Amino acid sequence: MKTAPALIGITSFAVILLVWESAVRFGWINPFFVSEPSAIALSLSRAARSGELWHNVTVSLREFAIGYGLSVVIGVLAGALAGRFRTVEYALDPFLWFLYSAPLIAFYPIFVLWFGLGVPTVIAMTFLLSVTQIATSTLKGIQSVNPGLLRAARSFGATDRDLLWKVVLPATVPMMTAGLRLGIGRALMGVVVGELFGATAGLGYSISYYGALLKTTDMIASLIVVVVLGVLCTQGLTAVEERFDSWRTF
Amino acid sequence: MDARTVVEPAPHIQVESLTVVYEKPKAAGTLIAVSNVNLDIARGTFVTIVGPSGCGKSSLLLSIAGLVKPASGCVRVNGKPVSAPGRDRAVVFQDFALMPWRTVIDNVRFGLELQRPRGLTGGDLTERACRYVELVGLKGFEHYHPHQLSGGMRQRVGIARALAVDPEILLLDEPFGSLDAQTRDEMGSELLAIWERNKKTALFVTHGIDEAIFLADQIVVMARDPGRITKIISVDLPRPRTVETTDSKRFIEYRRQIRECL
Amino acid sequence: MFNYRTLVSTITVMAFLAVWEFAPRAGIVDATFTSQPTRVVAAGLEIIRTAGFLHDVSVSLSEFALGFTLAIAVGVPLGLVLGRFPVLRYVLDPPIMAIYATPHLALLPIIVVWLGIGMQSKIAVAFVSGVIPILVNAMAGVRGVDGSWIVAARSFSAREWDVFVKVILPASLPSVILGIRLGLSRAVLGVVVAEMYQSQAGVGNEIMRYGSEFRTDYLLFDVLLVSLFGLTATSAVRALEERLWTSGE
Repeated sequence: MKTAPALIGITSFAVILLVWESAVRFGWINPFFVSEPSAIALSLSRAARSGELWHNVTVSLREFAIGYGLSVVIGVLAGALAGRFRTVEYALDPFLWFLYSAPLIAFYPIFVLWFGLGVPTVIAMTFLLSVTQIATSTLKGIQSVNPGLLRAARSFGATDRDLLWKVVLPATVPMMTAGLRLGIGRALMGVVVGELFGATAGLGYSISYYGALLKTTDMIASLIVVVVLGVLCTQGLTAVEERFDSWRTF
Repeated sequence: MDARTVVEPAPHIQVESLTVVYEKPKAAGTLIAVSNVNLDIARGTFVTIVGPSGCGKSSLLLSIAGLVKPASGCVRVNGKPVSAPGRDRAVVFQDFALMPWRTVIDNVRFGLELQRPRGLTGGDLTERACRYVELVGLKGFEHYHPHQLSGGMRQRVGIARALAVDPEILLLDEPFGSLDAQTRDEMGSELLAIWERNKKTALFVTHGIDEAIFLADQIVVMARDPGRITKIISVDLPRPRTVETTDSKRFIEYRRQIRECL
Repeated sequence: MFNYRTLVSTITVMAFLAVWEFAPRAGIVDATFTSQPTRVVAAGLEIIRTAGFLHDVSVSLSEFALGFTLAIAVGVPLGLVLGRFPVLRYVLDPPIMAIYATPHLALLPIIVVWLGIGMQSKIAVAFVSGVIPILVNAMAGVRGVDGSWIVAARSFSAREWDVFVKVILPASLPSVILGIRLGLSRAVLGVVVAEMYQSQAGVGNEIMRYGSEFRTDYLLFDVLLVSLFGLTATSAVRALEERLWTSGE
């Protein structure tokens, strides 16, 4: 991690918070719209102490874990099959294309129709939003395996199973992990937006709830938790990516 | 003295009426890469195949390797026909074809892992791989990844990998084609030094006339359209070959002969 | 051109449509939950002729157009400037990265608090959703410009502005267009979801209404319409991208 940019970055964050706080204190900005860092911090600590914060976080995380977990399993499987068998790829292609480009959140009312309001719908949304990303990345990863490597392996007598486990799988890891990382972002959005619309608990619900009550401070507090979670997850997976990517030149 | 006739040892590799055909992309017809080629290669000889692009030299080599299926004709090793890769042959590729996620030692082990020689444990394989890493002059680099190595070093790994499975026949497909001229010359000398130690049958495809003469006991000159052998030259230069060899009269004569064919 | 790929893809799509159509008829699923292709088409034909539909579509389209144009107008210059001057980038990087990591739609409620449930909040959502990819890609486009070109330009005594206009701009254009394409689908999504969340008009509003009324056919028509719009728009940009790539490099 380069220190100079990091220092500038942290300083700029601190400066922004300072400016924000002062702007509100001195009356330049109406706190109704953006609240102030001190009030937000207070709200967060209150929520933490009362257990409300953890409750919301666990509900959202659970939905995320199930939805994302399912999408990883199914996405990698579908992507692998499509990568291996061109027929499968051609068959899945139109559906993946549609799922990737269509505004999937607009399907929300249909999910409510099928699963009712609450957790199952949120999980369904999360799953659908991230599965296409993961499937597509896995597919591309398998297709981008250098055929020269496969030929070299065959020259040493590799069986099909050898080719899969010793060449294809390791070679697919970079693209697949990139897809997993992108899928996290989309899954998180699925959770939050799903909760915005129809849930009784969770971070998205909390944002929506306080929003309806026009309690900006609490709303932003929940939003910040979402942002922090998003950054943590993405950075976490980037670290995993880099660990496995030590053999790449870029 | 009994009247037993001295029989010539059977050729190690026999190529009989080999024809290799490729489908041109977008159904533009077929390309005859190799047309009715016959070739015998004796055990322990270093044979180079030289010719212009498209003359089928790589296709010929890959057919012997068992990686390319001929349209007609056959390849025999020790008298038996071969149509797939086997333990008796190992290939060194022009683009190195090293697994980027494996370290040097793991790459050298790679062929051994796939062939699963009986009675050897994982530790044995590693030990063997270490020996070959040392043989090609990469001691100390065992835990480096290919991207940390120069082109010449990567190809040494490729050579070590091929040698590690102890094949009877070493097949090299323009192995130094991706390297700069200086490295190429160095690698050529080193390859010969390594080859001298166990004198495997070696088949070396190249673009370079000088390289072809320098390395070989026998030179196979090929032409294109269709791919065929135009001349086979026996090289009568003393071994070990040195820089002086390239200045000798005979070397220049061979060069002239090859140039005439091309 | 008929090849294996088109064949397999077409067959699977037709099979899907067939199952979708006949499963309810066979009584396997309830058409209220899944609708059928024929019913969706019929609903669509009905909807198109209503005046309310035209109004909703124009509302959504204008929200998208205004917000996204703003996103381009702000995102492209800002991204180019940030890419050119690293110091500025270091200063603004953390907030930008934080926004990038946030699911942009989570900002919906706060935007509604600020701007109410009218068109302004939707325009703002389209802006926020679209500007981020545009900005990030414009930045990346500038950073990706081959340094040797800039050196070459300078060797001909080009001034800073010339370098910017004659080298950096054209070279980063493909990335900028890519950013626009990525931002486009996000902006479309943003508008629709914002309307679904809180609005008085628009296609998203219709979608939620039909949903609550269990009118699956109408709902699906609207959803597919939005998808079609998004797909056509992104395909148009993609075609533009390809023209640029082939003529540029």
